[in-house]
Amino acid sequence: MDILLILILLLPLAGGVINACFGSRMPQPVPVFIACGAVIGSFLACLGSLTLAAGDGYRLVLFTWLKSGNFQADIGLLYDPLAAIMTLMVTGVASLIHLYAAGYMEDEPDQVRFFALLNLFVFAMLTIVLADNLLLLFLGWEGVGFCSYGLIGFWYRKTENADAGRKAFIVTRIGDLFFAVALLWLFALFGTISIEGINAQVSGLEVTTVTMISLLLLFGACGKSAQVPLMSWLADAMAGPTPVSALIHAATMVTAGVYLLCRMFPLVSLSSTAMAAIALVGIVTALYAATCALAQNEIKRVLAYSTMSQVGYMFLAVGLGSVSAAMFHLLTHAFFKALLFMTAGCLINLAGHENDIRRMGGMRQRSPLVFWLFLAGLLCLAGAPLTSGFFSKDLILATAFAHGDPFHLGLYGLGVMVAGLTSFYCFRLAYLVFAGDFRGDELPHEPSALMLWPLYPLAILGLTAGLLNLPHLFSGGSWLSGWLGRTQDVLHLSISIEYLLIGTAIAVFVLGWLLAALRYRKYSERQPSLVGEFLLNGWRVDDLFDLLLVRPFKKIGRFCSQGVEAGLIEGVLNGAARGCTDLGMRLRGLADGKVSAYLQGLVWGFVLIVGWFLLRALV
Amino acid sequence: MIVPMEHLLILATLLFALGLGCVLVRRNLIMILIGVEIMINSAGLVLVGASAFWQQVDGQIMVLILMAITAAEVAIGLALVVYLHQQKKSIDVGIFDEMRG
Amino acid sequence: MTAIMATDFPLLSLLLFTPLAGALMCLVIGAANGTNARWVALITAGIVFVLSLVLCLLQTPAAGWLLYEDYSWIENFGIRYTLGLDGLSSVLILLTAFLQVLAVLVSWRQNHAPAIFFALLLILETAAIGVLLALDLILFYLFWELMLIPMFFLIGVWGYKRRFYAAVKFFLFTLIGSLCLLLAVISLYLLHGEQTGVYTFALEALKQTELSGTQELIFFLCFMAAFVVKVPLFPFHSWLPDAHAEGPAAGSVDLAGLLLKTGVYGMIRFAFPLFPVAAQKTMPILAVLALVGLFYAAWVAFQQIDIKRIVAYSSISHMGFVILGLAAWNQTAWEGSVLLMVNHAVTTAGLFAVVAMIEQRTGTRALDQLGGMWKSHPNMSAFFLLFCMASLGLPGLANFAGEILILIGVFTVKPLWAIIAVVGILFSAVYTLRLVQGTLWGSSCEPHDKQDLVPREWLVLIPLAVLVVLLGCYPQPVLELLREPVSSLLMSGGLP
Repeated sequence: MDILLILILLLPLAGGVINACFGSRMPQPVPVFIACGAVIGSFLACLGSLTLAAGDGYRLVLFTWLKSGNFQADIGLLYDPLAAIMTLMVTGVASLIHLYAAGYMEDEPDQVRFFALLNLFVFAMLTIVLADNLLLLFLGWEGVGFCSYGLIGFWYRKTENADAGRKAFIVTRIGDLFFAVALLWLFALFGTISIEGINAQVSGLEVTTVTMISLLLLFGACGKSAQVPLMSWLADAMAGPTPVSALIHAATMVTAGVYLLCRMFPLVSLSSTAMAAIALVGIVTALYAATCALAQNEIKRVLAYSTMSQVGYMFLAVGLGSVSAAMFHLLTHAFFKALLFMTAGCLINLAGHENDIRRMGGMRQRSPLVFWLFLAGLLCLAGAPLTSGFFSKDLILATAFAHGDPFHLGLYGLGVMVAGLTSFYCFRLAYLVFAGDFRGDELPHEPSALMLWPLYPLAILGLTAGLLNLPHLFSGGSWLSGWLGRTQDVLHLSISIEYLLIGTAIAVFVLGWLLAALRYRKYSERQPSLVGEFLLNGWRVDDLFDLLLVRPFKKIGRFCSQGVEAGLIEGVLNGAARGCTDLGMRLRGLADGKVSAYLQGLVWGFVLIVGWFLLRALV
Repeated sequence: MIVPMEHLLILATLLFALGLGCVLVRRNLIMILIGVEIMINSAGLVLVGASAFWQQVDGQIMVLILMAITAAEVAIGLALVVYLHQQKKSIDVGIFDEMRG
Repeated sequence: MTAIMATDFPLLSLLLFTPLAGALMCLVIGAANGTNARWVALITAGIVFVLSLVLCLLQTPAAGWLLYEDYSWIENFGIRYTLGLDGLSSVLILLTAFLQVLAVLVSWRQNHAPAIFFALLLILETAAIGVLLALDLILFYLFWELMLIPMFFLIGVWGYKRRFYAAVKFFLFTLIGSLCLLLAVISLYLLHGEQTGVYTFALEALKQTELSGTQELIFFLCFMAAFVVKVPLFPFHSWLPDAHAEGPAAGSVDLAGLLLKTGVYGMIRFAFPLFPVAAQKTMPILAVLALVGLFYAAWVAFQQIDIKRIVAYSSISHMGFVILGLAAWNQTAWEGSVLLMVNHAVTTAGLFAVVAMIEQRTGTRALDQLGGMWKSHPNMSAFFLLFCMASLGLPGLANFAGEILILIGVFTVKPLWAIIAVVGILFSAVYTLRLVQGTLWGSSCEPHDKQDLVPREWLVLIPLAVLVVLLGCYPQPVLELLREPVSSLLMSGGLP
């Protein structure tokens, strides 16, 4: 069994390393086979070792990574129900996306680099999921950052792509700093960085300390999950190839923050302040991103903002204290968002590599199949009744409602509003892309079969994943909560309230649809309004960051290199050097090369010495 | 000793002063060399006088060595002067200031 | 003083003088034919590497010297020829020997007076090994100064346009520092002699000297003057970027890999144990300078155009990290510091090697003229990316292992320092990514030489890359070697 567990991690790593080192020397399809094989193998290993995870989970230490003084970090795996369900999702979705990518990247000459990075990404993501201590988790945490950097900037010939990759790396790294400080602090407090060890000891801590550490972890999570205020990288990250967006920026990496908070839930949940902060960050991001999504023109950017918004829901769930609601939404979202991105990739191909929805339209005629698949994803995202997104979103909102106090009711209200916005922008997208006639002038580029068939399982999963945690109302057993050992997350509301909540959700969904239909069923060229412009640019957050952080940073840099380095330090040194030279220049006058002058000096010196001795003798 | 020692010393001092003056004042290389010779000879004179005064031969030996060295020195010195003259067509010391700082 | 391994055979002297013998051979055999000189240098460096590897493997985790040699040398002044090898020095010697092999390979195509060039490289190796072995202060000083001479010529003769300026700057900076050291050594010797009647330069004996607070402080500062210049610590770093930018590639590898390390080694082997009270008193100042340097160098690196200067400033920034670890004065932080020193040497050597290759192919080092190297030189670029990632502290690669240990060690003592230093990791990402961005990505700069790596270059980069990964994923062997020496040095410095 141990070997299966190790294989989950080892296969993607081996695939990535082999492709990175030898991929370019192999004949063409071999690296792709290796990459896909590695991930599928990992998925199978995960399936095979699932029984290990039940109950309290299973711990496996491979070797000691770092040991110094009383600090010790192992390469160790913690395979508990939470990790298992996440591993299953990551490897499963990653397998499908790898297959899709094999089709998508068929004509790409630099395939090897792509698949090596993709495999390494899966490895790093699985490290986050399976790590049994925070340092190893941090390894994966930064590892996904690097792979994401490499993949966003995959088409590096265009500087914007590479810059988007850099932005993602640096902005997420700002979050990582907070995580690192939390790690240091936790070690200083407990003398261990093992996740189980920390969670077992937290109860004795002071609340302020817990709050501080939890907030640090929250900021760390914000970076990776693109939450306010570290969210601005995700929309730009769409510069990467579509499979990358599907895998990294929808299904897996952006949910790492949620996973981290769930992992450290025993610690985080001790501080009500921190919980409120998490919920607030979640709802603010959800609202922010939903408004931004209203005005986007690129299909992938709409999806990117919707991802941000949905991850905001997950944060909200964690902040409400319901790990199973967060994980439930995480899983369903992974399925339908991966589906949406991959179908978006097909749509872009069909529109002749056109990203802009203003130049799409009439795509239904071009490929009815893709239309239905995309619609399935959109319905899940919009929370159409009985789709998975409906159930998971409803659970979060109901949990908020169940708390009952004004703060949480406010959260519920905002959550409902976001749901309405989501429905609106989903159908806006649908109408703009599919309705009417094609507005572009490119010829379609048919997606290959390899790109299409990974979409079916995802579509089925997206539509039916609600079964995972079906509430009592629909005669479900809340299986996920049970598997995670969090039966306390199961809600016990009265039937009437449940119907009320569901009714509200459906009403909001329909309202969003109707409004979108009114406005976008007929396409018309519109000048973007001022508000639209503002939303299109993501509330101009980038400009704000530029003003507050980037420019001062550059200014200080200039000050250091020109003012201090070249001015002060070099100035002092050159001043000293010039002083020495000047002194020498003055003294050189004495040595004029004239023999008679030297002799005179000799004589006068002699006279002086003799005179001195005479004076001494006389006085 | 017929000539008193004092006279001898005064003569030697005068000669030395004349030589030194010549070295310091003249700009002609040959004249400077002559000045140096005069100074050496004044020293030789003192050595001979001292030798006679104390009835010891050491002084005379020193003078013999001195004469040999002077001869060698003049030979080299004049050779250099000739060489320098070839270089710059002049033996004015003022011209030879390549060692200027 | 006894050694763990009892042997009459002067192994340490053999290790120490093999490079010197090689240097002579280089001059004799290689004078007529440059190829001979190269091979002699490579073989000598290889022998030293194997020898030091064997010594490292023999090293046991127990405390004390593995090997120890002590002969009388200049008896009148109590100067002895004392060498000792423990875990700390063997790790650093192994590093030195390893990098020296690469330095020879990097400068394989050096065609300007190759015999002298390689002889100087080997002399430098003897000097560096001598510094790491010597336990007599005069002997130490001798090797310390001996490092200066070959480096001066390597920069001044085989460098770029402003090489002479850089060489003189390097020489003057380090010389002024070392003269302070010499003064302090002699005064300490006289004081100790007056107190005990025994005139000796032996390190162990001098540790017993009784000093008043002011005396100790002055001596400590004099010692540190030599070491902080070598490290170099802000604001004494100004020579380093010039020396790197103007020096030849092998010179940069040696500077980053050997010379900088001797400064830190001098601190923990000599300055701190000799003057523990003064050292602990001045630690906060040292820490502040280290932190300021960490950020300052990062900011300056961010503004540079010359890619070699970026790497040079990144060195200063990382050495700030190392010094911060020393200032924390505990086991974890010190082990982390030494580990980071080793890791940084490997990473930076790799960076400099690739930078030299880039320059060879494009004829420029200016960031604004480079770009798109991945297209034309994928293998070389992959190595460059790896080293850059290691340099910006990606976990699992070399530098991170040292940095996290330092941070943990520092956090337990002074949380604020550690928190500030963590931000430094972000800064390193900012300037390193700028470097990657400007060289690898973007559109191509049309290098005149389309040749990707040649076998010799593979030979240089593969060991470095393997080490970068290995030291990041499994640094335990190095840490095991460091444990006892570091803890005994901390003890003699008096744990606070």
